[in-house]
Amino acid sequence: MTLAEFIATAMIALRRNVLRSVLTTLGIIIGVGSVIVMSAIGTGASKQIEAQIASLGTNQLTIFPGSMNVGGRQGGAGSAPPLTEKDLRAIRENVTGLVAAAGNMNGSATVVVGNTNWQTQINGSSAEIQAVRDWPLTSGRFYDAVEAAAGRKVAVLGATVARELYGEADPVGTNVRLNNVPFEVIGVLSVKGQAGGRDQDDVIIVPLATARSRLVGRVRVPDEIGQILVKVDDRYEVSEVQADLERVLRQRRRVAPNAMDNFSVRNFAEFLATRDATARTLSLLLASAAAISLIVGGIGIMNIMLVSVTERTREIGLRMAIGASGSDILGQFLTEAVLLCLAGGFIGLTLGAGVSILISTLFGWPVYISPAVVLMAIFASASVGVIFGFVPARRASQLNPIEALRYE
Amino acid sequence: MSQAEPQTPVPVVAARNLCKTYQLGEQQVHALRDVSFEIHRGEFVAIMGPSGSGKSTLMNMIGALDVPTSGQLAIDGTDIGSLSRDELAALRNHTIGFVFQQFNLLARTSALDNVKLPLTYSRPRVADPEAIARRCLEQVGLGARMDHVPSQLSGGQQQRVAIARALVNSPSLILADEPTGALDSATSLEILQLFESLNAQGMTIIMVTHELDVAAHARRLLRVRDGKLVEDAPVNSPPAEVAA
Ligand SMILES: Nc1ncnc2c1ncn2[C@@H]1O[C@H](COP(=O)(O)OP(=O)(O)OP(=O)(O)O)[C@@H](O)[C@H]1O
Ligand SMILES: [Mg+2]
Repeated sequence: MTLAEFIATAMIALRRNVLRSVLTTLGIIIGVGSVIVMSAIGTGASKQIEAQIASLGTNQLTIFPGSMNVGGRQGGAGSAPPLTEKDLRAIRENVTGLVAAAGNMNGSATVVVGNTNWQTQINGSSAEIQAVRDWPLTSGRFYDAVEAAAGRKVAVLGATVARELYGEADPVGTNVRLNNVPFEVIGVLSVKGQAGGRDQDDVIIVPLATARSRLVGRVRVPDEIGQILVKVDDRYEVSEVQADLERVLRQRRRVAPNAMDNFSVRNFAEFLATRDATARTLSLLLASAAAISLIVGGIGIMNIMLVSVTERTREIGLRMAIGASGSDILGQFLTEAVLLCLAGGFIGLTLGAGVSILISTLFGWPVYISPAVVLMAIFASASVGVIFGFVPARRASQLNPIEALRYE
Repeated sequence: MSQAEPQTPVPVVAARNLCKTYQLGEQQVHALRDVSFEIHRGEFVAIMGPSGSGKSTLMNMIGALDVPTSGQLAIDGTDIGSLSRDELAALRNHTIGFVFQQFNLLARTSALDNVKLPLTYSRPRVADPEAIARRCLEQVGLGARMDHVPSQLSGGQQQRVAIARALVNSPSLILADEPTGALDSATSLEILQLFESLNAQGMTIIMVTHELDVAAHARRLLRVRDGKLVEDAPVNSPPAEVAA
């Protein structure tokens, strides 16, 4: 028999009992479906985290005042001495392996252009922030160190802010009011996307000194800096530079040899990478648990195929009498099992994709169905068909034609 | 049978000291004991005998469904005792057409597809199975019923489909184990007349029956009793047109 004939024969047999065929494949449908959903959620989460890592840059370190407690959260920031311009200068002068170091202070402001309002985050940053964060402009320019030191009222808009306030028009050269203080827009940043559940483009960057005096509330010391961001040169080990940085800061901030740091250095990318690994492991675990139901489904297939072989003993005997060889019969029943499983696989695939999309729209979770997982699901269902169809098919092929023909 | 032409001297069936013994636990059942005979091309042979005498056992071996315990059985010159399972299957496919008492058609499958079935197992593949199957269905008088499934056909029509299926591979012989056993007498007669006409066209037919008036349509009668061949004679009331 040719493959086409095997398939045609199998289709006739399967159509003879549609309900039973569907029920038989339920295990495969559920198995494949849940593998797809699990992996779609897992891969979606990990893809999102990876995009965040890419947007943050893997060799960027952030220094906060206060020590770090367990779990990576910063604590005691209130009691610890704030970071200052002196700390920033010490880092720039004494730490080797840095591309740039920038100070930053966060605040928020209501932006007004004409009669449009927008509430956004303000980053008061050193001019070096652009180099640290690797953030190109789509229009205009960034302020330089001289402008920053002079505390000029210039602003660089994030892509979201520019879009919300200006639409398609170019904001460069116009004025905006931040908390009622007029600023000149000198540049627009390119899109960076989401990170940590926040839109990184919903921001306005202004010189640190300007923010300190006009936008951020009270400062504890006149040269306070909220955080210091540094970018490590690619040619240096991030961990070594971090150690150097900690040594310099301990010295500069006069931390006693046995005392805890009164600052903390964090590598967000690394932190996210750990989360990424966790997400991957979890989704792999869930997908494997779901894959077990494929085995259960396979046993269901085997069971029904054994029943089918028994029911069709006379047919098998007849086919043998008119010249079917053992491999013809084996092929016929294997094809049936594989087709059943493939059909179940495709239904499971469709259902799984549907549920994934539903989850994504209902809960806003990122889902991603990778082609590799789709191929694997199809391959796995075909394999289940071959593996669990083999025993019944072999039993059929080894029937004695005389006894099979006499079977009632 | 005139032998003026240079016909092949090889008999279609040649049995020599054929024995078949079944082992039922401790007990040995001698289903066939030392049976010898030859059947030549173009013969129409009826096999008769009481129940349990070994008729089906003999038919199974002639049909290459089973092999002898001892002795030789050659089909078309091939000793079946030396063949593997798959070689037996190929021999059945090429050489033998089966007709069963219960028809054994595939349910929910059209007459045409039922007739085509043996061709799907043929090696080498035949060129146009569809055309051959159509011709065979026309030959048994079912040219107008090709798309009917068995449940839409009468018993006699189903048996005709089965005969068409037996013919489709141009076999050397047709084996029919009680082909009229499930049919009423009028339909039986039609089937037997179909056999006669096939035989008249040169087809070799071997048929098992319990009834003498069925056997009367054959031209030679083998009687078995207790696994032994007890009679081998021409049928004494041949159909009229043959006697002429
Ligand atoms: N597979 C088997 N195992 C054991 N004994 C068997 C087997 N097949 C047939 N026999 C025995 O062999 C003998 C001949 O059986 P067979 O079926 O050939 O008889 P039969 O002439 O066809 O009878 P019937 O007219 O009832 O069909 C019987 O005694 C039967 O019980
Ligand atoms: Mg019998």
